[in-house]
Amino acid sequence: MKLTEALKILQQAPENASPFLVSLACGYTPLHVATFLGAHLQQRLADRRATVSTGVYGDVPGTLAGLKDAATHCVAAALEWADLDPRLGYREAGNWGIKALPGIISGAVAQLDRIAAAIEEIRLEIPVAVCLPSLPLPPIFHTAGWQAAEAQLALNRKVAEFAFRIGRRCSLVNSARLAEDSPPAARYDLKSDLLTGLPYTLPHAAAVASALSRLLAPLPPKKGLITDLDDTLWRGVAGEIGPENVSWDLASHSQLHGLYQKLLAALAEEGVLIGAASKNDPAVVERVFEREDLLLRPDRIFPLEIHWGAKSGSIERILRTWNISADDVVFVDDSAMELAEAANAHPGIECILFPANDYAGAYALLRRLRDLFGKPRVSEEDAIRLESIRQSAPFQAAYGEATSETFLEEAEAVVTFDFPAGDDPRALELVNKTNQFNLNGIRYGEADWKNRRTRPGAFLAIVSYRDKFGPLGKIAVLDGRQENDNLFIDTWVMSCRAFSRRIEHRCLEAMFERSAVQEMFFDFQPTPKNGPLQDFLASVSGRRPDAPFRLSRALFEEKRPRLYHRVTESPTSSNPWITSRSA
Amino acid sequence: MDHIALRLTNCFQTVFPNLPEGEIAAASQSNVAAWDSVAAITLVNVIEEEFGIEMDLDRLADLDSFSRIQEYLTREMQLS
Repeated sequence: MKLTEALKILQQAPENASPFLVSLACGYTPLHVATFLGAHLQQRLADRRATVSTGVYGDVPGTLAGLKDAATHCVAAALEWADLDPRLGYREAGNWGIKALPGIISGAVAQLDRIAAAIEEIRLEIPVAVCLPSLPLPPIFHTAGWQAAEAQLALNRKVAEFAFRIGRRCSLVNSARLAEDSPPAARYDLKSDLLTGLPYTLPHAAAVASALSRLLAPLPPKKGLITDLDDTLWRGVAGEIGPENVSWDLASHSQLHGLYQKLLAALAEEGVLIGAASKNDPAVVERVFEREDLLLRPDRIFPLEIHWGAKSGSIERILRTWNISADDVVFVDDSAMELAEAANAHPGIECILFPANDYAGAYALLRRLRDLFGKPRVSEEDAIRLESIRQSAPFQAAYGEATSETFLEEAEAVVTFDFPAGDDPRALELVNKTNQFNLNGIRYGEADWKNRRTRPGAFLAIVSYRDKFGPLGKIAVLDGRQENDNLFIDTWVMSCRAFSRRIEHRCLEAMFERSAVQEMFFDFQPTPKNGPLQDFLASVSGRRPDAPFRLSRALFEEKRPRLYHRVTESPTSSNPWITSRSA
Repeated sequence: MDHIALRLTNCFQTVFPNLPEGEIAAASQSNVAAWDSVAAITLVNVIEEEFGIEMDLDRLADLDSFSRIQEYLTREMQLS
């Protein structure tokens, strides 16, 4: 990103949008780092207005300490060696040399400790992203530049220990990736450092800001990957050379396919849905899947679309089974034609050509997939996602059929409500990644989300589900407030895995019962993706809403179908369920 | 307006979005409140990006008006 482009992005931010306040802590003159940080965040948060505030020159610990109770949505800290000891920079007159080094190291350790302590004092709900020192150290060591000096190694070790300590609290920029985006030799600008106090070249300022913005406003990861089989998951066409002759190993010079399998297996373990779409003979594919040396176990792939029909149709059925949109999915195939057909039928799907026999291309593919599916933490729900999708298949098949009532009745379903006194990271995760059953599509930062609990009459409900087929985990979240005899539902999301079970009806019934109100107000807004929620609301209110609306208990009970779940309450539920009675 | 003046006007509009276009040609550090030290450095960097040149930051104090910067750029472009 060029500086001109960054300035224009900031100028074009929507004036009346809700502000997104970023506190930038750096010891140098923030100048263009602040501009680039604001612009990158603005690009990621198009419906907000990113505003960057900066701290005191030369005092990172002091700036961070001042953010302890600050009204900010997030904190970005861009550290440099001079923040640890001014002698590790070029602007101060302090001595370099062997005699100064012990004092520099001990001073750096003390300063790192102060910075870590200040970060740990910042309220937990405020995301903090840190970029560790990224500039080359000045020539203060006795060794030639190409030889690592003992004191330099000691400094690096202290910074690594600091990173481990604060890594529990905040997100850290990956220094190795930063080095790819901004080569170390092109980072430092002595003239700018001495004349303006900004030690970075413009490209490095942009790279640091971009890296921090990715941590502070991460894009939602993709949810599913659909893969071709022949010449993609393995080398060779199984139907031609035989299932026993397709390969994915080093000896056969087909390790690229083995690496692809290994990555898919790792992604599946992290909760990514893996499906297959292949023009093939099912019996042949089954024989390949019987091979013990397959690195991606076949039970990790669901569903399988193996036939001679169009792949767009296969993708359509896989998306329906997963109940997610094409935007959330990546399709990998070795045929550009198949990719084009899929992209044409499913706008939004990310199509990636498998680069057979192209080692650099395969390396790039592995890294790209990791970036597309990367997430900061893996939750319990991630681990059970595939199983719950498998369970959903019979529900979807039964839904709408005459037998669905019997099916639901015999499902032995249990819906559990948790009204936590605090919060649960899963709640915000669901709110920010759910599209189809989402009341209004509003996304929240951690600080905004936590602050909602302090509103008068605020409540938060987290809904879990299980039945005789197994658990779905925490699948729905409602948030809102009760004011006298009115209940306001401001946020309502439900995972697509939980559709077709009437859990949404049970949610409303529970809220009516718990609040004892006769009317609920929904802060509904139509979005391009929340059609399933609109369908549901139309079914219980008698009309398709196009704006916030109210629903009476009498009408809901008239429209509500029979519910078969047993309802329980989590032992961790708060009593009373309203988290804040007064302002 | 010559080509340099036009491109320089664009730079001023980028750095000083609230400055009316009609006032840009007469803009100077003394009559534009937003033209502080930070804006001066930003303006130099934006001009460097636009014209593909490296400006002499030591001469920043002299480049304190649209017309002076225009003169500087005209000289630099002729030299190159």
